[in-house]
Amino acid sequence: MLDFTGIEKERLRARWVSSAEAPEFVEEVNAFIDTLKELGPSPLKAAVEAKKEEQKEAPA
Amino acid sequence: MIETIKQHVAGLLTEKKIAGFLGLIEKNGHVAPHLFKDGESLAGFTLGDRKTAGDARYPLNKTLVTLSRAYPEETFGVLVRGCDERGLYGLFRLNQLTEDRVIPVGFSCPAELSEACECRKPYPDSLVAGEKTESSQLKKVAEMDGKDLARRFDFWTAQFVKCVKCYGCRDVCPMCFCKECSLECEDLVAKGDLPVEVPVFHLTRAMHMADRCVDCGLCDEACPSDIPLRLLYKKTAQIMDTDYGFTSGLNKNERSPLSQMGPAK
Repeated sequence: MLDFTGIEKERLRARWVSSAEAPEFVEEVNAFIDTLKELGPSPLKAAVEAKKEEQKEAPA
Repeated sequence: MIETIKQHVAGLLTEKKIAGFLGLIEKNGHVAPHLFKDGESLAGFTLGDRKTAGDARYPLNKTLVTLSRAYPEETFGVLVRGCDERGLYGLFRLNQLTEDRVIPVGFSCPAELSEACECRKPYPDSLVAGEKTESSQLKKVAEMDGKDLARRFDFWTAQFVKCVKCYGCRDVCPMCFCKECSLECEDLVAKGDLPVEVPVFHLTRAMHMADRCVDCGLCDEACPSDIPLRLLYKKTAQIMDTDYGFTSGLNKNERSPLSQMGPAK
């Protein structure tokens, strides 16, 4: 659904890791951090602000 | 078509098979839900077609749920289109209505309406009047999927930011019956803040409707900001269908894959 609404689906990750598997957890989070760094900041916040301004200027 | 339905309903009422028939009435220039009772004439009874077919629909199932909670021992008849019947099947599955307390009286939608709705099943199983109209394909979802990511992002952000948080989509929805709504939980949705959190607010609802939405499109019609909600839920439904082979309300006695344990089929 994220993909459908135009947000990279790589920005959301769900993994099951047992509480006894600390190394897996660390590995997973580090990998996710790398992915996010590659993707860069999300354009969402700026886009919402811009659209809000547009609306104010031209009320539909 | 309407005469056939009237006769059928009058029959059900005189035979005392139902305590009342929940349908639509045209009164003072407006179409509204109405409970027709025995002895009462069916004058004013309408199918909700005014200028064009299906332009005055109403979530009758929602009224039916309220009605059957107040009179649990009674059996009611209800006017259904294909989508309404899918809703009934969904409400049976979710234990909001009892199947043997409901007698659906169905009629099919014309081809143009089916086409406009991109309806998978524009006729109910309990067909009293009309022909089985052909189902239509999902074109708008494919069209949206065909756009690139940035375009989709632009489109949906512009749509979601229009939301005035009136909760009309939820209030009109025949499949929304929770006593506590996540969208009113203050820990999740800040009260009084506009615009809503994009896209979280709308995707939350989409996820909650994933195995419920019967694609009746009333939310889309109710939205004062013209957000194409139906398109959004159609995508969710498509995912449910491709990944789990499940379409809400399409078959009677189906079970939702989201409420079962085990691997996906």
